[in-house]
Amino acid sequence: MKNGRLAKHSLRMMGRYKLRTGFMMLGSVIAIAALTFVVSLGQSAERKILKTVSQMFGDSGIVIHDGGGEMMGGPHGPGTRLKIDDIAAIARELPGVEAWDPMQTITAPVRHGDSADNVLVRGESERWPLVWNRTASRGDLFDETAVTGSARVAIIGESVARELFGNDDPVGADIQIGAVPFKVIGTLEPWGTDPHGMDRDNEVIVPISTLMRRLTNVDTISAAKLVVTDRARSDEMKTEMKRILRERHGLLAGQPNDFSIITATEIRRMVGQVQRVLFFYLPLVAAIALVVGGIVSASLMLVSMNERVAEIGLRRAIGARSQDIRLQFLLETTLTMLAGGVAGVALGYAVAHLGASRMHLDGVNPWMASLLGVLASSLVGLLAGVLPALRAAHLHPADALR
Amino acid sequence: MIDLNEISKTYKRPSGELVVALSDISLHIERGEFVAVVGASGSGKSTLMNIIGLLDLATAGRYSWNGENVTTLDPNRQAEMRNKKIGFVFQAFHLLSRTTALENVELPLLYSDRRSIKDLGRRALEAVNLTNRIHHRPSELSGGEQQRVAIARALVNEPDLLLADEPTGNLDRTSALEVISIFQSLNRAGRTIVLITHDQEISSFANRIVRLERGHMVRDQRAVETRAITQEEQ
Repeated sequence: MKNGRLAKHSLRMMGRYKLRTGFMMLGSVIAIAALTFVVSLGQSAERKILKTVSQMFGDSGIVIHDGGGEMMGGPHGPGTRLKIDDIAAIARELPGVEAWDPMQTITAPVRHGDSADNVLVRGESERWPLVWNRTASRGDLFDETAVTGSARVAIIGESVARELFGNDDPVGADIQIGAVPFKVIGTLEPWGTDPHGMDRDNEVIVPISTLMRRLTNVDTISAAKLVVTDRARSDEMKTEMKRILRERHGLLAGQPNDFSIITATEIRRMVGQVQRVLFFYLPLVAAIALVVGGIVSASLMLVSMNERVAEIGLRRAIGARSQDIRLQFLLETTLTMLAGGVAGVALGYAVAHLGASRMHLDGVNPWMASLLGVLASSLVGLLAGVLPALRAAHLHPADALR
Repeated sequence: MIDLNEISKTYKRPSGELVVALSDISLHIERGEFVAVVGASGSGKSTLMNIIGLLDLATAGRYSWNGENVTTLDPNRQAEMRNKKIGFVFQAFHLLSRTTALENVELPLLYSDRRSIKDLGRRALEAVNLTNRIHHRPSELSGGEQQRVAIARALVNEPDLLLADEPTGNLDRTSALEVISIFQSLNRAGRTIVLITHDQEISSFANRIVRLERGHMVRDQRAVETRAITQEEQ
C-alpha cells in the first residue's frame, strides 16, 4: 500500500518536472528507437532475403550461369558458350534431375499503341512455371508446341500491363517487342522486387526459342535452373554437372570454368552468414546506443539528486526510510527510461516502416523489437538509477536539511 | 514525555579536530509544554533539535521517549518515530515547489502505514486556516502562508511533538506572530511544542525558555504567565 502510494507520487513528480524528465527520457528514446529500427528492419530484410531465396531457388534448385566465377556476383569470364544442349545433356546423364529450364534475357522496348516501356524480356521453356514456381494470374501459359514452333506469344508482368494497358485487360491484345509483334496470352503472378531492387513484375516472358531466333539471334543461353529430387545430394550433383560441362566445353585441366554453378544449399549458407551479421552486429550497435543513453540518464539523475538534497532531507525528516528514498529514485529513473523506451519503440517503428517501404521490404513486425525495447529500457533505467538512488538513500537526514 | 539525560554530541571535523556541539544536556519535557530553546548562533540549538527530532544520535547520554530508550534506535525505527510522533517545521519551509499546498501537506502520509488517508490533509489545512489555498503552489503563497502549509504538514499525522526550528526566521513580524499564535492555540489544545529560536521576543510566547551557550544549558526558566499576542500586535 505504502509502495503503491510512493509509485503514484513518483509518477506525479515526474510529470511536474517535465523538462528534467524529458531530457532524461531523450537518451532512452534515441537508444530504443535505434534498437527498434535496427531489429525490425533487420527482421524484415531477413524475411525478404529468405523469401527471395526460396522464390528463386526453392528447396532444391541449382542455377547454372554462363561465364566463369564461383559465386553469384563474382567475376564472370567472357563465356558465351552455355547452350540448351548442355543442360539437356546434364538432365539426361545425371539421375535425379526432376525438371530444368533454360533462360536467355534481353532488355527491349515493348509497345502497345502509343504506350511504350523498356522491360526485361525473358525467354524460357514451357517448364518455367514448374521450375521457377511462378504461374499466370490471368490468361494462359504457353506449351511445348509454342516453344518448338517459336510462337510469338507473351506473358506480361503486372507492372508492364499497368504501363501499357492501364486498367484494360491485356489478355488477347497485341504488343510489339522491339520490332516483332507478339500476342499477350496471360499476365504473370505478382512477384515484387528482387534483392537487386529490380521490379520482377516489370518483365515479359516469351518462349526461349522465339527470343533466341527473333529477338537476340544467339544460340547460347544466359542461365538455366535445374530442380533436383534429393537436395542432400546437391553438392555432389554440382560436381557432376561441372564435370559434364567441362567435358562438353572441351576445357583442359588448369583452364577456368566458363560457367558458374550455385546451389540452394550454398545460398542458404550465405544467408546464414548474413543472418549472423544481422543478429549479432546490428543489436550490438543498438546496445551501445543504449549504454550511452543509460550513462546520460544516470548523470542527469545524479545532478538532479544533488539539486534535491533538501527535498531528500525533508522526506527523511517526515518519516522516509533510506529504502523509501532509494525506491523513489529507482522508480523515477526506471519509469522515465521506460517511458522513453515506449516513445523510442514508436519512433523506431515509424522510421523502420518508412525505411521498409522505401526499400521495398514487407511491413515491419514491431513485437519483437517492442518487447526488446521495453525490457532493455527498463533494465538500463534500473541500472542507471542504482548509483543516484544509493547516494540519495545514504544522505544523512540532518546533513541534508542543513 | 521527553527525557534527555546528560546528552553530549561531539563532531569530528575533516581536519580531525573534535568539536563539542552539546555538553551534558539534561532536559525533561512534559506532555503539553511549549518550550523555546534559545541561544546565539553556534550555541548547539540545531544539534539539540536534531537529537530530540531523532535526525541525529547523541554521542553520549541517554534519551528516553515516554520511558522508552531511544538513544540508539535503528534508522528505520527512527524514521517511523519521526513519521508518527514528531512534526517538523523549518525556517526555510522546505515545501516541494511544483506541488500544491494539499499535496505538500499529504507528503508525510506517503511514508505512513495508515490505511485511510482521505481528508487528513484537508483537515490539517483547516487547522491552520488555509482551506482557501488548498490547490495553490508555494510560489503562489506568501511567506506566512507557506509556513502555515508547513505547520499543517507537521500536523497531518497527529504527532505528539511539534518541533520548530526558527519557524519565524524568514517571516515579517506580522506573519511571525501569526505563526506563533497558531503554535499557542495548538499548545492550548494539548500539543507539546519545542521551538528553536534566536529571537528573544518570539521565545517570550513560550511557557518555558531553555537557553544554550556554547553547547551548555545555562538557563531553564518557566514563565509564570504565558505572554499572549495582543490585538494590536496582530
